[in-house]
Amino acid sequence: MNGPAPWAGELEARLGRRVEAMHLLPGGASKEAWAIETDEGDLLVRRALGGVIHEATLSLEHEFEVLQAAEEAGVRVPHPVAYLGELAGREAFAMEFVEGETIGRRIVRDPPAGLDTQLADELAKIHAIAPERLPFLRASDIVTRFEHELDSVGDPHPALEYGLWWLREHRPDPLADVVAHGDFRLGNVVVSEHGLVCILDWEFAHLSDPREDVAWPLVRAWRFGVDDRRLGGVGEVGPYLERYEELTGRSISEQELYWWEVLGNVKWGVGCLTQCRRHLTGLDRSVEYAVLGRMAAEMEYELLDLIEHA
Amino acid sequence: MPDRPAAPELIEAVSEFLSGELLPTIDDHRLRFRTLVAMNALGIALRELEAGEGGMGEDELRELARRIRAGDVDEGLHARLKEHVAEKLRVSNPAYLEKYE
Repeated sequence: MNGPAPWAGELEARLGRRVEAMHLLPGGASKEAWAIETDEGDLLVRRALGGVIHEATLSLEHEFEVLQAAEEAGVRVPHPVAYLGELAGREAFAMEFVEGETIGRRIVRDPPAGLDTQLADELAKIHAIAPERLPFLRASDIVTRFEHELDSVGDPHPALEYGLWWLREHRPDPLADVVAHGDFRLGNVVVSEHGLVCILDWEFAHLSDPREDVAWPLVRAWRFGVDDRRLGGVGEVGPYLERYEELTGRSISEQELYWWEVLGNVKWGVGCLTQCRRHLTGLDRSVEYAVLGRMAAEMEYELLDLIEHA
Repeated sequence: MPDRPAAPELIEAVSEFLSGELLPTIDDHRLRFRTLVAMNALGIALRELEAGEGGMGEDELRELARRIRAGDVDEGLHARLKEHVAEKLRVSNPAYLEKYE
């Protein structure tokens, strides 16, 4: 869609800038993303869509605050420009428009040198954000949370149940909660030929054991087909964990990440099923959501394989 | 019995139209991607029709899921689940399953 939205005038008034062009970017399940050209530079506006928002998703106002806190902590993020309140009845915020590649399949083809340790750099800075800075962030029992989400799907998935059972039986001793990104993986990282540019998509930020974020980019689905590079299809896990320890003092072994990797597969397996329900219930008819319902089996097989070798 | 083409033959006809005629005309990346996803969906439907009914039925799956949630897990369960999921993957994504072999 091109041309001005009906709320373009409201946007100009809130920003105090002249909007020269705007177009809606493709994708986005619960939020719209608009590329906006203004007389003072290019912006990206994230605006809420209708429909049921995932219970673990932050409001755009809170997401904007998380982005501000991350920038203060030195995390590479698009500069947060302004929280805009409601534009034609739906909340929105503006941030700097960043150029670069986000498509995982393209990044893993020829990843820039150093991307592995740069991911650790950013994660260490995120995990150093003071939780008091973001008092609205919540912690939850993650295994119980995915049990509830699986229940909400309705159809039986014994392999995912088995994953949840195994996770309950082998719970590790917890580490103290940190501010977690919540979806730290390729796809939410802007990359250029020189390396990591910035971290996007903060809507799932919450408080958690740091290993939840550390292990998430290792999950096979986020290796985008390059399975032998266990860190997101771009590198080995060793240098990433060493760099993370150097910066945070947290020594995390590859072995102990298995539990979190099984959890990650349960999380994305259940995620596929809940996203598919957006299509099946008529909330968001889309062939992409529909097919996700059949992709969950990939995570089921991977978690059974991981458990076999753990 | 309906006239031909039968359901699998209709799916093949639509797949061939998408890959042979529609896809080469699409420049938009996003639309290309969605067309590939649609072709994948048709492939799943075709393999499912060819495989026919098999494996555990819904009641059996529901009972198994309930038992696992209650902590009733026996030694043979892991292998049984692996075969159950492999059977789903032979329909949804046979190439993915081959990576584990």
